[in-house]
Amino acid sequence: MLKTRIIPCLDVIKNKVVKGVNFKNIKVMGNAVEMARYYSLSGADELCMLDINASYQNRKTFIKTVEAIAKVINIPLTVGGGVSGLDDITDLLNAGADKVSINSAAVKNPKLIRQASLKHGSQCIVVAIDGKRHENKMKVVVKGGREITKKDLIIWAKQVQSLGAGEILMTSMDTDGVQNGFDSSMLKKVTSNVSIPVIASGGVGSLEHFYLGHLTKSTGLLAASVFHSGKYKIKSVKKYLKNKGVSVRL
Amino acid sequence: MKKKVIGLIDGQSGNIGSINKAIKEIIKGKPYQLKIIRGEFDYSLFNKIILPGQGAYATLISNLKKLKIYKPLKTYLENNRSYLGICVGMQILSDQGHEDKTTRGLGIIAGEINKFKSKKLIIPHMGWNSIRLKKEDSIITNNLDNKDFYFVHSYIFQNIKKSNVLANTHYGKKFPSIIKKGNIYGVQFHPEKSHKYGLNLIKNYILKS
Repeated sequence: MLKTRIIPCLDVIKNKVVKGVNFKNIKVMGNAVEMARYYSLSGADELCMLDINASYQNRKTFIKTVEAIAKVINIPLTVGGGVSGLDDITDLLNAGADKVSINSAAVKNPKLIRQASLKHGSQCIVVAIDGKRHENKMKVVVKGGREITKKDLIIWAKQVQSLGAGEILMTSMDTDGVQNGFDSSMLKKVTSNVSIPVIASGGVGSLEHFYLGHLTKSTGLLAASVFHSGKYKIKSVKKYLKNKGVSVRL
Repeated sequence: MKKKVIGLIDGQSGNIGSINKAIKEIIKGKPYQLKIIRGEFDYSLFNKIILPGQGAYATLISNLKKLKIYKPLKTYLENNRSYLGICVGMQILSDQGHEDKTTRGLGIIAGEINKFKSKKLIIPHMGWNSIRLKKEDSIITNNLDNKDFYFVHSYIFQNIKKSNVLANTHYGKKFPSIIKKGNIYGVQFHPEKSHKYGLNLIKNYILKS
């Protein structure tokens, strides 16, 4: 039976994992390579890392960090943040990423999804979608939620699937960073409209939140703070889910 | 003592970094050497060949032809020399693959590659799933039965002889996840991404088979 994936997410600047609310009060949580190694050993099913400050200068160090992480883990690695075109995708795959996640570049230029999946295969192209409610409609947002686009969330999700995305990383900007749980209604809406895997992101604060995330039919559950702060170990989340009847890799 | 030569084929189908790293760790201090195959090669120089693959069947076949790897590889396999094909590297052992169009495969293990059919399934089959061992073998011993491995694929090996199946996996329906004919192996999952049990399998293949 296919297992629900528990995926720690590293927000990275250069080679440090950081935490900050809306890019303010950025706090260093640890060394990215060390944290990646730790998560791989302690039962993470996959690892996600995002370059949250993809400036030209920081980028070189970030790519070196991707290479260093790929060398110390033996689980799949998804890398995103600052991916603007095909060359960036090739660079990250060459650095050792198994999957690359594209966000605003895909919103700006949806054809990039098709080009990337034709070149590298759908299985390694993840489209990250940030969603937010606006005037009673679910919309696609960019720039960390500060800019609301004209795109309807569900139409966009279906479109990225038909363009060849292998997976959707779905973050609700209404719940992200608040630790009150995943955005169940938004996630259910997405999973019931696409047939590719969906990773739920944004809002985990308790063990029950992971279970509620699973109920949305998302096959991957992503979290950052609860793991980085040491509040939960990956194993304890999995044991909790197993007791709830969810199939996990222990 | 003459070192045994392991060939790792770079078919430009997904990156070979993880498998390269895994092989190097396994053979460290042992009488083996690793050579990356990127073009025409003399098949008689290799004791083992590993081919990891991702993406499309037709793309891998056409890459191998373009790189002049296809012919010596086919001869190597027809001589029943030791091989481990990963994901699409396993699928191309079949007679043909039906993706957008039908592509002829290497024709080493009878069968064909078809898409998962059920409309209810989430495709690709992506993530960790367990294997059910049918037959114990030097690469896959009983202690790996029921263990989880990392899969990512939309196509499966069908119409295969039961005698060629070492393990099955269930996703919507049962499909072969480890196959074998003579000295030729194929695994549908990615052992190089499958943590300790995956490394265990690669180690068994290199050192015990």
